Amino acid sequence: MSTLHVVSHSPFTDSRLDSCLRLCGTQDAILLCGDGTYALQPASATCQALQARGVKVFVLAEDSQARNLAVPEWAGSVDYPAFVQLSIDYDKVNTWL
Amino acid sequence: MSKSLLVISRQAPWSGPGAREALDIVLAGGAFDLPIGLLFLDDGVFQLAASQDARAVQQKDLSANLQALELFGVEEVFACSHSLAVRGLATSGNAQPLSSEQISQMIDRYDQVITL
Repeated sequence: MSTLHVVSHSPFTDSRLDSCLRLCGTQDAILLCGDGTYALQPASATCQALQARGVKVFVLAEDSQARNLAVPEWAGSVDYPAFVQLSIDYDKVNTWL
Repeated sequence: MSKSLLVISRQAPWSGPGAREALDIVLAGGAFDLPIGLLFLDDGVFQLAASQDARAVQQKDLSANLQALELFGVEEVFACSHSLAVRGLATSGNAQPLSSEQISQMIDRYDQVITL
């Protein structure tokens, strides 16, 4: 079964994304929203780890736009309707509260 | 057949209500015979440390709730061995230590996941 992991906390203050990257399966995807989008900060170790992990990465467009974070070509930018569609497409959603 | 639920508890015991609430969800699920599992991850593994004294910070003891898990039919209780090792915890009480790979497979197996 596939899982959509939703991470909304900054990876620079918190271990959620680290743990998520450690535990997510090959069929899974990660959706970054809120301060979670700081994971895309160019040249950061987190950004490199995210890319190296090879799982699908989605980013909530308005949150990356608000923070002036460029969405790399290996990640997908989504709006709220697409977020809802993703939560349907994956078997379950694990929100890292 | 009810959907299976995995609760991932990643809050330290005395920093806020998160740890107790995760445990309450699991106990409630167990009381209704739901197929339910509990995983301690990140700072959540501190809930498993021995000889804690909740009274020193005017809180209720969590260890009684932890021991009630078995009584409520919750047999799937696990701890992340990476989180334990990073924090220098050698034992995890009744929680079975699992590798990252095993946890990944376990999350896959459950129908629903709640991370608190």
